Amino acid sequence: METIILFSPLIGSLICGFGWRLIGEQAGMVVATGLLFLSMLLSWIVFFTFDGVTEQIQIMRWIESGSLSTDWAIRMDRLTAIMLVVVTTVSALVHLYSFGYMAHDDHFREGETYRSRFFAYLSFFTFTMLMLVTADNLVQMFFGWEGVGVASYLLIGFYIRKASAGAAAMKAFIVNRVGDFAFLLGIFALFYLTDSINLSDVFAAAPELAETQISFLWGEWNAAEVIAVLLFMGAMGKSAQLLLHTWLPDAMEGPTPVSALIHAATMVTAGVFLVCRMSPIMEFAPYATTFVVYIGAATAFFAATVGLVQNDIKRVIAYSTCSQLGYMFVAAGVGMYSAAMFHLFTHAFFKAMLFLGAGSVIHGMHHEQDMRNYGGLRHKMPYTFWAMMIGTLAITGVGIPLTHIGFAGFLSKDAIIESAFASGTMAGGFAFWSLVIAACFTSFYSWRLMFMTFFGEPRGNKHTHEHAHESPVTMLAPLGVLALGAVFAGMIWFGSFFGHTDQVARFYGIPLAGEVHASDDRGAETTEAHGDAHDEAAGDDHGDGAKAADGHGDDHHAAFGGKPGEGAIYIGEDNTILDDAHAVSALVKASPFIAMLTGLILAYIMYIRRPDLPAKLAENQRPLYEFLLNKWYFDEIYDAVFVKPAKALGNFLWKRGDGNVIDGGINGLAMGIIPFFTRLAGRAQSGYLFHYAGAMILGIVILVTWVMVGGAG
Amino acid sequence: MDTLLQDYLPILVFLGLAIGLGLVLILAAAVVAVRNPDPEKVSAYECGFNAFDDARMKFDVRFYLVSILFIIFDLEVAFLFPWAVVFGDMSMAAFWSMMVFLAILTIGFAYEWKKGALEWE
Amino acid sequence: MGADLTILLPEIFLSLCAMAALIFAVYTTKDEVAPLLVWGTAAVFVALALWVALSGNVTRTAFGGMFVDDAFARFAKVTILLSAAAILVMSKDYMVKRDLLRFEYPVLIALAVVGMMIMVSAGDLMMLYMGLELQSLALYVVASLRRDSVKSTEAGLKYFVLGALSSGLLLYGASLTYGFAGTTSFAGIISVATDGNISVGLLFGLVFLTAGLAFKVSAAPFHMWTPDVYEGSPTPVTAFFATAPKVAAMALFARVVHDAFGGVVGDWQQILAFLAVISMFLGAIAAIGQRDIKRLMAYSSIAHMGFALVGLSAGTAQGVEAMLIYMAIYVTMNVGTFAFILTMEQDGRHITDIGGLNMLSAREPAKALAMLVLFFSLAGVPPLLGFFGKYGVLLAAVDAGLGWLAVAGAIASVIGAFYYLRIVFFMYFGDPEARGTDVAVAPVQGAFLIASAAVMVLGIINLFGVEALAASAAIALVN
Repeated sequence: METIILFSPLIGSLICGFGWRLIGEQAGMVVATGLLFLSMLLSWIVFFTFDGVTEQIQIMRWIESGSLSTDWAIRMDRLTAIMLVVVTTVSALVHLYSFGYMAHDDHFREGETYRSRFFAYLSFFTFTMLMLVTADNLVQMFFGWEGVGVASYLLIGFYIRKASAGAAAMKAFIVNRVGDFAFLLGIFALFYLTDSINLSDVFAAAPELAETQISFLWGEWNAAEVIAVLLFMGAMGKSAQLLLHTWLPDAMEGPTPVSALIHAATMVTAGVFLVCRMSPIMEFAPYATTFVVYIGAATAFFAATVGLVQNDIKRVIAYSTCSQLGYMFVAAGVGMYSAAMFHLFTHAFFKAMLFLGAGSVIHGMHHEQDMRNYGGLRHKMPYTFWAMMIGTLAITGVGIPLTHIGFAGFLSKDAIIESAFASGTMAGGFAFWSLVIAACFTSFYSWRLMFMTFFGEPRGNKHTHEHAHESPVTMLAPLGVLALGAVFAGMIWFGSFFGHTDQVARFYGIPLAGEVHASDDRGAETTEAHGDAHDEAAGDDHGDGAKAADGHGDDHHAAFGGKPGEGAIYIGEDNTILDDAHAVSALVKASPFIAMLTGLILAYIMYIRRPDLPAKLAENQRPLYEFLLNKWYFDEIYDAVFVKPAKALGNFLWKRGDGNVIDGGINGLAMGIIPFFTRLAGRAQSGYLFHYAGAMILGIVILVTWVMVGGAG
Repeated sequence: MDTLLQDYLPILVFLGLAIGLGLVLILAAAVVAVRNPDPEKVSAYECGFNAFDDARMKFDVRFYLVSILFIIFDLEVAFLFPWAVVFGDMSMAAFWSMMVFLAILTIGFAYEWKKGALEWE
Repeated sequence: MGADLTILLPEIFLSLCAMAALIFAVYTTKDEVAPLLVWGTAAVFVALALWVALSGNVTRTAFGGMFVDDAFARFAKVTILLSAAAILVMSKDYMVKRDLLRFEYPVLIALAVVGMMIMVSAGDLMMLYMGLELQSLALYVVASLRRDSVKSTEAGLKYFVLGALSSGLLLYGASLTYGFAGTTSFAGIISVATDGNISVGLLFGLVFLTAGLAFKVSAAPFHMWTPDVYEGSPTPVTAFFATAPKVAAMALFARVVHDAFGGVVGDWQQILAFLAVISMFLGAIAAIGQRDIKRLMAYSSIAHMGFALVGLSAGTAQGVEAMLIYMAIYVTMNVGTFAFILTMEQDGRHITDIGGLNMLSAREPAKALAMLVLFFSLAGVPPLLGFFGKYGVLLAAVDAGLGWLAVAGAIASVIGAFYYLRIVFFMYFGDPEARGTDVAVAPVQGAFLIASAAVMVLGIINLFGVEALAASAAIALVN
């Protein structure tokens, strides 16, 4: 079943990409979409029937080279199951959505076939993304990692006649290379130290790595720390974290369904997935995880501030994505991987929905993306409006404080903020305040987007507004499905992701430390605690226990146990964040809600009550506004520090190094020296016998002399 | 040593005779010959060509053909003589070897004959 | 005696066939039976090749070691016989068309092949010289087969005079060797020159022997005859010169240096390396200036012999194996290339100017593609077979510690690629106005051309098993 999930997008991609000439464009698209829905269906079945026990499903022997020996296999555990659902669901819906969105496009000429190509790329992307999340070893993961990079490159630059799209595609690819390089180094280091790239072996060796020193660059470091940092740097590139984030906003040059699929729901979360996947290593690298927390928190804050002032509807959502990814990294960094996955899961729904909704607006407004030219659209596009409304409620975290009732984002975001606070470290404190402030900003810019788009008076081109229309049903249906997820995903799976320890442990198949006692209670039949930890009966037993514990409050003290590699994620023995997070004060729990309300009220005042206020504020705080509008000048700094010198160096090497030295040298050799010898050889071939005989005699004289001299010496 | 030298005595005798005979003939010519020189007579004999002339002159290729054909049989005879001298002491292998050699030569001869190489015109 | 003759049976059979054919033809209708003789001779070659190939994997010697029949000799003989058969078959149409086909032609080729077979089996300096002269004399004659052409007779004469000079050098070397080793048999010589100890006289002998052999493989600086003879000879003869005799001479070269002087590898290694470098560079550089495709192929063969010598100069079994594979590939490529050259004509007149290849791709795309493959292979462009040939010899040189030689070889092959690729350029992007070669109807040549190109592509899978044969041949020689 997993194999079908994995390969049906590939088959769809091939059929659609190469076979459309045979079966027709429309049929190709239908096939690709149909196969993805099949994939989605199976993924949900897998998700619900999965029992938490890690399995490896071998597909084929892959590499056999010296001590590097690995299979191409699917690693089936809870992380994979979650990602399968996220990827295939969003992808299938985006495929469906694209039928409407890509129906007509001014970027292509009349009669040009582009849709089948688009669908083929989408399906190809889905395949590589599935490769990434199902990887059983690091090389396979890297293959998927690069595959999604390629697919992303192709899709960002899909509008081939748009120069900015091409530039954005290149930027995305090149910035990602920085992270990928670190990721590769991490893989090398792991192989170097553990002599294996299979995840199971690597995880098993994690405690050893924590004891190992490795020399890297200028000093000796703890091996686990080095590897964790390198892997995280790979994740930073893919997930657009601060310093390597600059490509994500530019990636919005691609078609909107692409932004929804790749740059919101799936590919950008690969970094988070990677950190969670490598949790056994991360748990042994306290400094590295602190680094993760700082970067994540800073990104969340930075992106939120920039999002405040952007005017392009897609860019606002892009910065929002960047910011939400920061949240996830904070959660992963403080050791609450489950919360990171939770937010990843819910975020996929509501962010994909926001993007698709934005796409619907853009589609209805004839590819106008500037929010200053929107306004009052809720009457023209009621369904889109309500979908966007649900998405906004979800992302801003609307819910009833101190309960577990609310939109998806409410539960997952609060879980992260509580975890950050509960970690108790300085990094955690920093992260907590950053995230709360970011939550306020998130609320502000999300509502700003809503108010500017759907409320107030129509602005901008009158003609466009008159022709604004609701999108077709193929575009609205995915919005409806995602809306369900955005509303209910948090409430349904809260317990599994962020409930009590044993509930979470059961979800991820992690053995509990307390299980030894439990087994003893049940009798002598299971004396090997770890050996039978995955036993179905034991799991059920604890499930019951968890339900019982729910009844009498928060004094249940189960703890995570097991060795690295057991279960989908590994929680170190002294990692008690989950329990601590449940125990934080009510004020902390309510803080995101307060932040959300503040943002909402501010946005309401500025964009509904006093629409002239934002302009005045921008005028008053000119430097700050410019600073934010220009995204903290990251692009400019990078341009000055990296791009310009690199271009200058390239120019120098090209014109001087390559042009003058190499070309000049080769040309001189090829056009001067060689022809000279050719003429010489031609002249020697005089046609006279005595010249020929002379040459032979000369040759033998040389040979004899040489041999005599050489022989003597 | 002495026996070795004695073995070569006939050659010494032969050498002496040859020198003697040569001297006699030359001296006899000087003494008894009728001397009536003309340019043709005093010039060196060069098989019908001028002795001092341009070396790159044309002459009939048939001269070469004849000389080459002659050389083959010349060598054959030179080869046959020593073979004939020790004929009695030899194995059958040696005998048949010579027969094969002669047969090959005969084939060549038959070819050149049939090809017309021996006809002057 | 009987046993000795049994070992020589293929050679004896071939000579008898040749003589019988001579007598038969001269006593019947002369040149009218020539086409029949061509086919017959080719058939005999193929049959003998099978015979030799299937005669078991043993090493036998005849006449007290004068004649050696081992895996090495058999490999070379099969290559020689098959390539000679191919050339014969290819050349028939051409020669008939130009009224060139004498019945002596197949007979002379057969006799030359007998000489070559003796050469590669030589276990004695006498045998070496016998085979060499039998081959050479036959070749001198076929070079001037077109008696009414000045160029052809000039070619024959030049070849003869310089060949005589080289034979003189060779004989001088042989007599020096005999003088200092006291024997002419290779087995005797190697027992005198062992463990790197070689007297100065023997070294002189070695140098002169090498020079004589280098002339036969047309290695620089003893190559001067090659362009003129290639250009002047009738094209089928040129094709023959470029294939079988090169294999024979190279195999003989290997036999002399390994069987007779295998104990003093260091001494001949430097000589061969020297010859190899000069040949590779001269072949590559001088060919650039050529517009006549036959002259160009002459320089090409000089360069290729340089590469084969690189393998030989490694002085190891690996080197010999690489050399044998190289020669087999080289011969195949040349058969294909000359199959095409034979069909080049304008208004029925044979042309050899490379301008005749202009825009061949437009007129005969299949042939142009085959030629493209062959020229890429000649240039050593991966993944064609020619590349693996070069790779093998260069690898052998590197493994033998002659890294500099391999580097030189790589540079030379880059320079040499120019003139091959230039022809490809002519074929595909040439001047569409220029008058090219006429479209030729030549099924036999076409088949050889396509087959040869196909071998260059398909052979990369497993070289058709030639590698294993060459390996056992090399081991039989170097032990």
